[in-house]
Amino acid sequence: MLSQRLIGRTAVKSAFRPSGLPSIVSAPRWRRTYATQAEERDLVIIGGGVAGYVAAIKAGQEGMKVTCIEKRGTLGGTCLNVGCIPSKSLLNNSHLYHQVLHDTEHRGIEVGDVKLNLKQLMKAKDQAVTGLTKGVEFLLRKNGVEYLKGTGSFQDEHTVKVQLNDGGETSVVGKNILIATGSEVTPFPGLEIDEKTVISSTGALSLEEVPKKLLVIGGGIIGLEMASVWSRLGSDVTVVEFLDQIGGPGMDTEISKNIQKILKKQGINFKTGTKVVNGEKTGEGVKINVDSAKGGKPETLDADVVLVAIGRRPYTGGLGLENIGLELDERGRVIIDSEYRTKIPHIRCIGDVTFGPMLAHKAEEEAVAVVEYIKKGYGHVNYGCIPAVMYTFPEVAWVGQSEQDLKKAGIKYRVGTFPFSANSRAKTNLDTEGMVKMLADPETDRLLGIHIIGPNAGEMIAEGTLALEYGASSEDIARTCHAHPTLAEAFKEAAMATYSKPIHF
Amino acid sequence: MFATRVLRQASHHVERTPSIKFIGRRTTPASVDHSPQPHPASPTHSLPASFTSGSSHATFSVYRDHAQQFGPLRKTIKANAGIGAVAGSDLGPVAPPKGVFFDRNDLPARFHRQPLTAAEIEAIETGGAALFS
Repeated sequence: MLSQRLIGRTAVKSAFRPSGLPSIVSAPRWRRTYATQAEERDLVIIGGGVAGYVAAIKAGQEGMKVTCIEKRGTLGGTCLNVGCIPSKSLLNNSHLYHQVLHDTEHRGIEVGDVKLNLKQLMKAKDQAVTGLTKGVEFLLRKNGVEYLKGTGSFQDEHTVKVQLNDGGETSVVGKNILIATGSEVTPFPGLEIDEKTVISSTGALSLEEVPKKLLVIGGGIIGLEMASVWSRLGSDVTVVEFLDQIGGPGMDTEISKNIQKILKKQGINFKTGTKVVNGEKTGEGVKINVDSAKGGKPETLDADVVLVAIGRRPYTGGLGLENIGLELDERGRVIIDSEYRTKIPHIRCIGDVTFGPMLAHKAEEEAVAVVEYIKKGYGHVNYGCIPAVMYTFPEVAWVGQSEQDLKKAGIKYRVGTFPFSANSRAKTNLDTEGMVKMLADPETDRLLGIHIIGPNAGEMIAEGTLALEYGASSEDIARTCHAHPTLAEAFKEAAMATYSKPIHF
Repeated sequence: MFATRVLRQASHHVERTPSIKFIGRRTTPASVDHSPQPHPASPTHSLPASFTSGSSHATFSVYRDHAQQFGPLRKTIKANAGIGAVAGSDLGPVAPPKGVFFDRNDLPARFHRQPLTAAEIEAIETGGAALFS
């Protein structure tokens, strides 16, 4: 009897094995159903760039139900796909190539035949990009974020319609909606970007051959980084800049003049205080007519390739802002308040598409802050303490106010500088170009701004940013022990120069 | 007589106080003014009138009372708002009183056991043979 029962149970069990059985036994016994068909999300994010994906991860960590919509097909936005990351790959590898070609003999290294393999250079860049964008996708999954590949546009104040990349359409309803659609390249009027002869920064990251003559319109950070890459790889590069200084208006004038001299020595030509009047594509390249900014000195410049790097503008195309009545300012930025709310308070906005510098790390800070505002009602970003870095060689980095800012605002200041030519580590590295410059309040000695040209300035500025965020004085830095021999000692010595005197200069 | 090292250090600290101060663990302020203020990076340092007189709500406070939002935007939820009007923690324990047991059938229908179909009963009784007959 017992054995018969056992056999019976075994038979029943086997009858419920799913493989090859009729549907009645393989069907799930318990069905989960939801109260509504379209589940309302706590946060819907339009844009999977640095601002969007960081907000998505942070919101996921805070236990919110999050949907992130991105139309590019890969996450990371401009920064990871066609900005900071690929350009750093090209800058690093082109610097190595240039150094092997021109900067080895006096170091006691004799190099044989050195060749450029542009295809491999680009492949290395693509691998870095792919690895990082896939990594971000993994992080979204890890934090329970729903990722929709498609174009999001507002249907109403709580609903975002998504045109899926794979075809079809869906919509998501959000209690909160975050606009993080980023920015796009500002075109030059009358010069159509074809990414072959007239290129944007995106095209400059994937040229198929080294142009003989490259003309860069715009001597800001993007223009100078790309000018460096292609100059190192063999192009004859000329940079045309409307302002009297390169590096953009945010760069300290003294630092700007210094880096211009250094880059000029590297072979880059500059035409500052010069405006581009117009240009036309010829069969062989592009002709660009320029004039002095004040007028009266017309000139025509020829180039095989022209890079348009006059800036970026907020991107809100196809977002359907008109459906919800959201307004933009005169430069196309979404207007927000101090808690990143638009005039419809549950719709917030961060990153390049709104106020502040168009920098990935600024967007990242805002992403964390906006989720904290939603979740806790309190967030923090210090807009007076956002570092900027130009990854040329040597690098240029700064944080806080420049000398011209302080002069303009009528704020008294004290200056301290220290050159890398007096720094032991820079001497041993044979990389002595550049300086550290500090600006501090003459009464309280509190730091007001830090400006660096030098190898690894982008890393060194982190110390300055931390000091500025904590409200340190230059003496605080000067009295902090720095390891010897390091480039960071130049930072300490500049602080000593600000409040007293440096030891080694 | 020489001062000890401790005394020398102490006098040194009296002379110089670093600007950096340990401010302790960061906490969210007990009360935060959520009324719209211009963004610190706004070039105009002002907000358009639409921020204070929204199209559908006269004031921000009115909006807060009506807005659907995750998180602390909503100040209060009206008592007659149905489910969600009272915080879960204020409803008391969910455990049944002593000696009382919840039955599965007390739950909404979707949590009930699904009835067995005749074919399923047959399959069990015949040890699965009915599925192949």
